[in-house]
Amino acid sequence: MENVIEMRHITKVFPGIIANDDVTIELRKGEIHALLGENGAGKSTLMSVLFGLYQPEKGEILKNGHVVQINNPNDANNLGIGMVHQHFKLVHNFTVLENIVLGAEDTKHGFLYMKNARKKVEEISQRYNLKVDCDALISDITVGMQQRVEIIKMLYRDNEVLIFDEPTAVLTPQEIEELMQIMRDLAKEGKSILFITHKLNEIKEVADRCTVLRKGKYIGTIDVATTTKEEMSEMMVGRKINLTTEKTESHPTDDILVVKNLSVSKKGHKNPVNNISFSVRKGEIVCIAGIDGNGQTELVQAITGLMPILNGTILLNGKDITHASIRQRNVSGISHIPEDRHKHGLILDYPLSYNLVLQRYFEPQFSQHGFLKFEEIEKYSEKLIEQYDIRSGQGSKTIARSMSGGNQQKAIIAREIDKNPDCLIAVQPTRGLDVGAIEYIHKQIIRERDEGKAVLLVSLELDEVMNLSDRILVIYEGEIVGEFNPKEITVQELGLYMAGSKRGDTNEKAV
Amino acid sequence: MSDILFLFQQTMFFFIPLLIVALGGLFSERSGIINIALEGMMIIGAFAGIFFIHFFQQSMDPQICLLVALLIAGLSGTLFALFHAIASINMKADQTISGTALNMFAPAFCIFVARLVQQTQQVEFSNTFRITKVPVLGDIPFIGEFLFQNTYITNFLGILILVLSWLILYKTRFGLRLRSCGELPQAADSAGINVYKIRYAGTLISGFLAGMGGLIFIVPTSTNFNADVAGYGFLALAVLIFGQWKPWHIAGAAFFFGFMKTIASAGLPFLASLSIPNYFYKITPYVATLIVLAFTSKNSAAPRAEGEPFDKGKR
Amino acid sequence: MKKLFKSEASLNFASSVTAIIAGLIIGLIVIIIANPSNALNGFLTLIQGGFSNGTRGIGQVLNNATPIILTGLSVGFAFKTGLFNIGTPGQFVVGAFVAIYIGVEWTFLPGAIHWLVAIIFAALAGALWGCVPGIMKAYLNVNEVIASIIMNYIGMYTVNYIVPLTVFNINKNETLPVASSAVIPQFGIEHLIPNVNGGIVIAIILVIVIHIILNKSVLGYELKACGFNRDASKYAGINAKQKIVCSMMIAGALAGIGGALVYLGGTGKCLAVVDTLAPEGFNGIAVALLGLSSPFGILAAGLFIAHLTIGGSLMQIYGFIPQIVDIIIAIIIYFSAFALMVKGILANGFHFKKKPKVKEGQ
Repeated sequence: MENVIEMRHITKVFPGIIANDDVTIELRKGEIHALLGENGAGKSTLMSVLFGLYQPEKGEILKNGHVVQINNPNDANNLGIGMVHQHFKLVHNFTVLENIVLGAEDTKHGFLYMKNARKKVEEISQRYNLKVDCDALISDITVGMQQRVEIIKMLYRDNEVLIFDEPTAVLTPQEIEELMQIMRDLAKEGKSILFITHKLNEIKEVADRCTVLRKGKYIGTIDVATTTKEEMSEMMVGRKINLTTEKTESHPTDDILVVKNLSVSKKGHKNPVNNISFSVRKGEIVCIAGIDGNGQTELVQAITGLMPILNGTILLNGKDITHASIRQRNVSGISHIPEDRHKHGLILDYPLSYNLVLQRYFEPQFSQHGFLKFEEIEKYSEKLIEQYDIRSGQGSKTIARSMSGGNQQKAIIAREIDKNPDCLIAVQPTRGLDVGAIEYIHKQIIRERDEGKAVLLVSLELDEVMNLSDRILVIYEGEIVGEFNPKEITVQELGLYMAGSKRGDTNEKAV
Repeated sequence: MSDILFLFQQTMFFFIPLLIVALGGLFSERSGIINIALEGMMIIGAFAGIFFIHFFQQSMDPQICLLVALLIAGLSGTLFALFHAIASINMKADQTISGTALNMFAPAFCIFVARLVQQTQQVEFSNTFRITKVPVLGDIPFIGEFLFQNTYITNFLGILILVLSWLILYKTRFGLRLRSCGELPQAADSAGINVYKIRYAGTLISGFLAGMGGLIFIVPTSTNFNADVAGYGFLALAVLIFGQWKPWHIAGAAFFFGFMKTIASAGLPFLASLSIPNYFYKITPYVATLIVLAFTSKNSAAPRAEGEPFDKGKR
Repeated sequence: MKKLFKSEASLNFASSVTAIIAGLIIGLIVIIIANPSNALNGFLTLIQGGFSNGTRGIGQVLNNATPIILTGLSVGFAFKTGLFNIGTPGQFVVGAFVAIYIGVEWTFLPGAIHWLVAIIFAALAGALWGCVPGIMKAYLNVNEVIASIIMNYIGMYTVNYIVPLTVFNINKNETLPVASSAVIPQFGIEHLIPNVNGGIVIAIILVIVIHIILNKSVLGYELKACGFNRDASKYAGINAKQKIVCSMMIAGALAGIGGALVYLGGTGKCLAVVDTLAPEGFNGIAVALLGLSSPFGILAAGLFIAHLTIGGSLMQIYGFIPQIVDIIIAIIIYFSAFALMVKGILANGFHFKKKPKVKEGQ
């Protein structure tokens, strides 16, 4: 069969990370080709290379057998390659039609001439069953319809290679169903589709072939019809090298953090957190496992007070903190190692010592009569630096921005643990760190558990999940879809739950 | 009746320049560049235009002189706006700071040049531009009296610019692209549009219109130019906000603001009997804008990408 | 990494100096074009500025610097907390009016505190003017730049309306001079520099106070945290909205005091009723940018700009026009705006992350 696109031996390096390492992928005419991999496997980078957003260090791209140079999206467009980005590039106060023609407008006597465009859009819309209202404003239509506009945008430009970057992440189940049908129709009409995903069900449903990437490397291309989901899951997650951290059996006692029927809403989208209930007990590590973007961020921000909730209750030590301020939560026993240490965790332009008292500067230990007690802050900071082995150029006075990522994270962990919380919430605490730092942080978290703290860990790394947790809750599309004992489940099986292709009946179990 | 006529014609003196300058701001802000330098651009434009009139009005037909002066005013404003564009687009500078710098530069520069050339800072001119009566049209009863007697060519120009602005923004390819750059430059970029070029165009058009607006403000209301347009650039900014970044709304806002200014400065007999202090009319536009800001903040019509430098490398 | 940080601090300073040099060079070019034969003398006079007239000149520099140090502090303080206070002209003028009103009318106050009371009320008036954009920003997400500009005009027109009804000198179209008891005492520095106003002492005290607030107090810790990173300060449990209002009120108070210090200075200067925004307000932006928003930097920048201004007026001996100084200041601001970008690149370069996009409604 004829290959429309061949990407040969693509290597793309970003400072400190090889995003694509000698990856080869072939797209046949009229096929739906899935690109499967975990977060950070290099799928999006590879597609960005194809769309001209990045230039690869090595490798070549062939279109219909000829080597082509794609320097920018315009080049891609001229070659008939279109992309639906994860974040739609639609102007909110333009009509559907205006968005479609933007950049490829017809004019007559110097004025915009939309008649032909409208006709063409209507044709496309009928042919592929893409229902849109040409005159509706983008801000007034659903996310699903916005996606259809993006698809029509590609078809309007007569693109024949269509890239979809995680197209189902923002859709409701019905909309996903519709999208699958649209993709099938498109393929039938001879369009070739590349489809980034980590959802095995969707691959099974629509894809002809599937290329799997793991940690930037090419793992293999398989025929979807003859491969089981289990096999694909294994290819995706691999056989993990176990960084086992020693830990004893947990002996959980009382409930510390109880979340009941929690929902968080987001304007124009379905609820990112939908009716979640669970509890974390004294002396256990409960891990929320899931693929990025399934509501973890919102769940944690709702618990810590950074995000308003739609409904539900949150109890800490039996006390209702649903409506407590962030400060009240901070002082009444919640510690939070945030997902994004630069956005939430640190004030990068402040010295280390200031950062180490970020939620405590107002306590009598550190301030008096409205003035900071520098010596006390310094002393405390030196103590933490010593105790947690935080390396920095000028000790307490080091500006946080100039510290390495690992030491920034250590500083946050020191600060959060030293607050002596009842409940420690850690979100991807080892993200982007080297093995040494990871091991250290894992030990600290286990020590916290052993000292009788309730630990809620949110992680995208299955290694971490398997290693640390005493109980695993799998989150998928804002809901808890399964609760497991790490000793009784394999990584592969966990992968199936995380990818939404298996679902336990959970809510009763999880509470 | 004569009161109303007088009021109407006076209002035009304030309405037209406010309209043109606010439309200038519209082009810039719709392309994504905040322009608080409208005041400075007006001053530069007025200065260049009046200077031309000062030297050439003896030797030219007044209407032609005015038209050439308007062109010069517009071009000087454009040149001045170039500095804002370089700072905002290429240098990715804070657009408010760049605008502030231009606002400080303009009057100082004009006084400097004026005194260098002619010792005094006021540039004198005589107002020979009033059209007593437009032939034929001026004879139409009522309408003729209102629109085509005791008028200025600039009044018609202002209306023309309003219609053109609306046409350009909403009916042309350029307008569609310009608006997309102010809302979501990433969308424009991915559709193959050069965001930098469009933003340059928006900023330069705003300089042209503001420069011209400066001259249009000075000509009917004064006989000399003293490097000052009395805060009309900032008022035009308020008009732009009050008009919610839409041409016809801006026209309405400019008329309302111009009307308030007229009442404040002209002191009409029938309003004098109400004994409302001038002060009230002077601050009404500003207070009204503040209230509009407060009420529309949740659903602001401001271009979403306004003030954000666009960086092609970042996605 | 350590080196990088150090170089960032020095880059900050270097960028200010570069902006000043660029401003002066372009100024020099303008001077040469204007009058080549006197250009050198003129430029030297400009540079010599306040040092031309012995202690008298120094006194003048101090007096001219006083209001712009205060408006500079106002802008700089707001900057430190992530806000652009372009409302200094309005805050300045309402402060000035309130000070003059009290200075003229409240003669029942004993001389020892009359001037102090006037200053305090001026600060309150400025704070009131500053808190309007602050509240709108914090609770309605209205861009503080726009709201501040509007408040400038409301302030100016309000003062111009009230002056003729209260403390008006109709012959000169300005306010009445304040009572002698409302004049700020010279605190003994007149023995060193005879023509100096007491205002500079208050300005320096406030520089120190603001330095202490920003760098030593809990409030300063919170305000700067909000300015550096609003998300992280929220995470830390700081009430960012309250801090925005608080910051704008302090900024407004400083500009208001600036207005008071000019008209309580004992120079006999009175507030004229003209529909023009107070230039001291906008000059504060230049001062704050040059002083990198740090209180002592602002003190130095204020003195520098006052020094140049005196130089500019002395240049008139050689037939130059004093507005050359405003041109130079404007160019300095313009180049300072570029410097922010250079710093931004550096910061983005090494923390490797796009700055979170802060969308502000209008």
